[in-house]
Amino acid sequence: MKRCARGWRIWPREHHEGKKMLCLTQSKKGAEILLDYCARGLDPVRMAELERHLEHCAECRGAMEQQLRLWETLDEWKAPAVSPDFDARLYARIARDQSAPAWKRWARRLLQPAAPVAMWKPAASLAAACAVLALALTVHTPQPHSSVPQVHADQVDIEQVAKALDDLDIITPTNPM
Amino acid sequence: MEAVAALERDAELMLRVREGDETSFALLLERHRVPVVHFLYRMVQNRPVSEELAQEVFLRVYRSRATYEPTAKFTTWLFRIATHLALNWIRDGKKEKGQESLNQELLDGVERQVADRQPTIEQEMLYAVRLAEVRRAIETLPEKQRAAVMMHKYEELDYAQIAKALRCSESAVKSLLFRAYETLRSRLAHMA
Repeated sequence: MKRCARGWRIWPREHHEGKKMLCLTQSKKGAEILLDYCARGLDPVRMAELERHLEHCAECRGAMEQQLRLWETLDEWKAPAVSPDFDARLYARIARDQSAPAWKRWARRLLQPAAPVAMWKPAASLAAACAVLALALTVHTPQPHSSVPQVHADQVDIEQVAKALDDLDIITPTNPM
Repeated sequence: MEAVAALERDAELMLRVREGDETSFALLLERHRVPVVHFLYRMVQNRPVSEELAQEVFLRVYRSRATYEPTAKFTTWLFRIATHLALNWIRDGKKEKGQESLNQELLDGVERQVADRQPTIEQEMLYAVRLAEVRRAIETLPEKQRAAVMMHKYEELDYAQIAKALRCSESAVKSLLFRAYETLRSRLAHMA
């Protein structure tokens, strides 16, 4: 079992279910707890528990301070204000889109779904496989074997057929019952 | 409680848009315009492109109003579309064509930072250097890690929402964030 430098342990949620305990700074799970703490995403009980721990553990406190300093640094990057004509341009674009012919709007909806569709990729793969198969069958269509003589119905001799059936009857073993 | 009410309100507004209520679309746009543009800006690091992509996001939302079903949080859906468009733009290699000059952004940033005061040349230079380092550090993150950090740090989305936007599991999101913050901490350690 891992512990931080001062031998303190943090109890993740699993502790209550009797599972393994992990250290804050030396495990991924601990780092996630730290991240949740920095983002104020822990429940009040665990938050208080962690704060008590941080009072005594310089290593864990250092890790938390590092994370908070990183976020302060990232906060320095301010995004610029949105252009004042953003909405006007959007509504003009929507109007253009809506005035397009129905088939075009339908095609756009199909080809540019709002969010990516999960079955899109497998469906495309399947379609490609079918296309390849169809192409292969078109290029290499099986031809009837030339060595097999073609028999036409009008050339069949009835007597010959009857004789063949008699021969077959002789060959076929009779049922003992 | 307030957040839940806001989420329900988004879905309600979208359902009204489905019924043909244009005012509800305007309200949704008002609520989400800035977070979407800012997210896209930090993803593509180019102001005109981020606004263009944000317009595409809202256009797609509007287009799919007829088939909208409130199965997921509206914000999650919105950021899923935005992430998809941003990642496609980055993967298409359009970034090289669209590199934006830092100048305007620097001026905007310095003005905001030292509000009501005239920034000195020294302040401008210091800000420019720090900003360039932050941008570079974020830009060099793998694209999914970058998207996860942007949604977690700047847009304050929870793990479940980020997971849906990135189409991965919550534990994968935690891993992405863990690695991304670790990289950023080491790259930006000298600035703290």
